[in-house]
Amino acid sequence: MIKPVLALLALCSPALADQSPLPFDLGGAFELVDQTGTARTQADPQGHPQLLFFGYANCREICSAALPMMAQVADAVAEQGITVTPVMITVDPARDTVDNLGPALAQHHEDFIGLTGTAAQLQVAYDAYQIETEEVFTDPEYGPVYAHGSFLYLLDAQGKLLTLVPPVITPEAAAGIVAKYTQGQS
Amino acid sequence: MKLTPIFAASMLALGLAAPASASEGERIQITGEIIDTWCYFSGVMGGPDAVVGSAHHTCALWCSAGGIPVGLLGEDGEVYMVLKIEGDDQNASGDTNLNLASHEITADGMLYKRDGLNYLVVEKVVTDHGITNLNHEDYGVVPGFAIPEPKK
Repeated sequence: MIKPVLALLALCSPALADQSPLPFDLGGAFELVDQTGTARTQADPQGHPQLLFFGYANCREICSAALPMMAQVADAVAEQGITVTPVMITVDPARDTVDNLGPALAQHHEDFIGLTGTAAQLQVAYDAYQIETEEVFTDPEYGPVYAHGSFLYLLDAQGKLLTLVPPVITPEAAAGIVAKYTQGQS
Repeated sequence: MKLTPIFAASMLALGLAAPASASEGERIQITGEIIDTWCYFSGVMGGPDAVVGSAHHTCALWCSAGGIPVGLLGEDGEVYMVLKIEGDDQNASGDTNLNLASHEITADGMLYKRDGLNYLVVEKVVTDHGITNLNHEDYGVVPGFAIPEPKK
């Protein structure tokens, strides 16, 4: 009797047990297209945990902080032997095309995955994460500026949400959160 | 049924639903300022005393409109990341968030502690005290370029 209990306790990291669950139900299935034109779902084909963000490659606001941070987090956890795939789902499909996404995201990290799709396909992903987008104004130099949800979502390899990561904390702090959930998963 | 600590831990390990407890969120009423979390945490626009209040109000509006999540800087000095706020279905850029930027409010809602961070779902803004930190008298506009120069 004692062995199963100890095994269960070993699975239950104290760091994860002593905290609140998320106050809402986020995540779910979607099917989009990556920057190579390949279909991709919420699951990582390579079996790695994923750091997901909704934004757009031309964004000069929160994305200009979040995308480099995601790259820094991926590099930081890689040093601990954890591979995390940074993924951005576009909220600006008119400009973030299959052809444009790759070069824009590669500036941040070579492993970055950019996802786009039809309006209906994207809406499925937005609905899964309760992402609302709105064009708030047009920057005369860089074009439309969109408001959009800006938390990072840490997913496991199957695409299940593990936790939120605010895009405003330090990359070191974010890497600590990611490592806590993904140690031994990749 | 009274759960022993070991049994409770086992249930958590299995992801089984446990009875309601403090770990599921705590109702709190808290007073503090709605802040721009990016500028507050990053320090890129100035020290923590300068990137709050009236000095930083314009930048806070730009940041919220651009998707940066807002936070509530409590009187206890803790930052509470606002997940949702009464009247808005977004964590930034909604009308309520924009209207409350830099305001001192008293909020009633649910606190969730996760990964060492405080997350707050504001169910009701009990009192909106307006902008009470008039630190532009000390710092001016922070950053100065938050108010663009008109094009000639």
